[in-house]
Amino acid sequence: MLREEISRPADNWRERLPAVGTVGPLLALLVASAFFSAQSDRFLTGENLSLVLQQVMVVGVIAIGQTLIILTAGVDLSCGMVMALGGIVMTKLAAELGLPVPVAIACGIGVTTMFGLINGALVTAVKLPPFIVTLGTMNIAFAITQLYSDSQTVTEIPESMTALGATFEIGGTSIVYGVVLMLVLYLAAWFGLRETASGRHVYAVGNDPEAARLTGIATQRVLLGVYVIAGALYGVAALLSVARTGVGDPNAGQTENLDAITAVVLGGTSLFGGRGVVLGSLVGALIVGVFRNGLTLMGVSSVYQVLVTGVLVILAVATDQLSRRGAR
Amino acid sequence: MTAPEMIPTSIVMKATALVKRYGHVTALDGMDFELRAAEILAVIGDNGAGKSSLIRALSGAAIPDSGEIVLDGRTVHFRRPIDARHAGIETVYQELAVAPAMSIAENLFLGREIRRAGFAGSALRMLDKKRMALESAGHMRELKIGIGAMTQAVETLSGGQRQGVAVARSAAFARHVVIMDEPTASLGVKEGMMVLELIRRVRDKGLSVVLVSHNMPHVFEIADRIHVARLGRRAAVLNPKAISMSDAVAVMTGAMRAEELPPEALS
Repeated sequence: MLREEISRPADNWRERLPAVGTVGPLLALLVASAFFSAQSDRFLTGENLSLVLQQVMVVGVIAIGQTLIILTAGVDLSCGMVMALGGIVMTKLAAELGLPVPVAIACGIGVTTMFGLINGALVTAVKLPPFIVTLGTMNIAFAITQLYSDSQTVTEIPESMTALGATFEIGGTSIVYGVVLMLVLYLAAWFGLRETASGRHVYAVGNDPEAARLTGIATQRVLLGVYVIAGALYGVAALLSVARTGVGDPNAGQTENLDAITAVVLGGTSLFGGRGVVLGSLVGALIVGVFRNGLTLMGVSSVYQVLVTGVLVILAVATDQLSRRGAR
Repeated sequence: MTAPEMIPTSIVMKATALVKRYGHVTALDGMDFELRAAEILAVIGDNGAGKSSLIRALSGAAIPDSGEIVLDGRTVHFRRPIDARHAGIETVYQELAVAPAMSIAENLFLGREIRRAGFAGSALRMLDKKRMALESAGHMRELKIGIGAMTQAVETLSGGQRQGVAVARSAAFARHVVIMDEPTASLGVKEGMMVLELIRRVRDKGLSVVLVSHNMPHVFEIADRIHVARLGRRAAVLNPKAISMSDAVAVMTGAMRAEELPPEALS
């Protein structure tokens, strides 16, 4: 009797929901790609797809950090601004103070990591909501960037600093090294989240922080670690941004700030925490990139691109919300 | 009646004169506690009688101001819940402390994951998911919880099944004691009975169970002895087979004193 009670299998469709959650974004990407290749002959060329990847690499790397934070049921509104500060720090130190490039890069990444630490400390030690904390640090990072750079673009940076913007060829299509770095980071994050205890703890904390604490997980340490790693990733994104544009831009990161959150949500990671796959965020970033690129090729004004992105986000969040309601 | 000289050898956990104050409130006022091997000891008491504070002290969630706790013949000082866990005491909570989107196997090993052997485990820190799934299935089987796939997400389970996962987790890792804090309170009638059956099996495995419950029929159904807390002290330890439920409640509320009970009602 007991056995019979307990072994009742769960309803089939409910068990399959998570699978839909991971396949859905990929399907959306394929449908969008099919649509744009029907609209424009230039869409499905190696050159154009390589360009999409190149356009996506900065937001893609930011989105890895953003995924980690959203998995813990948090959010980071400061990501793009912190990245911009990192970019300004590393370019100014190299171009104006003449520091060796590796040292300048390390300093830039150090600053973004420090911002991650500050975000994490305020969330864990002071127990402030991530939304508010990062809204504050977003403005602080933006202001420091403007003050430190005097709102001037940093030019004449050493060539070796933009090495990741160089290309190599595969079958006649040129690919940027930075894209490879992005893919490697995604695979590393995917592996870490899936195969290691620390990665599983990120999910557990996002699922139910109290339950995670009761099972003996050091939830505060997990949270702090997530914000610090995210900060370091924003530094890497800053380097990629510098490599791509060839300058230190104090106004960088403004579209990436919300695009990163959009990419994560489109990729199927739940804003309620504890559910999602980091590779989905890459797919999400590609969806945003493909829409931007495809609409540009069709000659649609950029204002409509922003409009479409907005609609996509709401659709993705609504799907998340509805599937959650179904599972309860 | 058991011979008194038999008792010391079978005592797993003993607390003497525990005191815990929160500001002006004295939650524990010299509480004694004694848990025997492989028994289910129910802890009952009115709100504010000190039962939660007692459980918190025994599980490391609170540090008593004074008093002594002896586990398996050794004095222990728990400063955090993890200390109690390392000492072999596991706790099951009322609020179904599981991670819903994670699998049964992951929940069982949460915070105690097993890594792979060799390079994959030490350098890449890879988890041994196969072994955890296999061992989880073993733990679930041992308690006769017949859930098929260990990879199933816990949220696809019913409330009783989820509590089953929590009980299996504690039974798998406890070496001495499993503390259950109102494990049936958030469950329906049928599921509550299911969990009671599981608690029996945990005892039959040889573990001692401390069961905190407000549910008198549940307490009388499975407890071997009943510890009655009142005003921060132990009012009595009752034998559920020799006392009526209403008399037990009378002792709990102070309407009846332990000395007024017939000797066989005490344990």
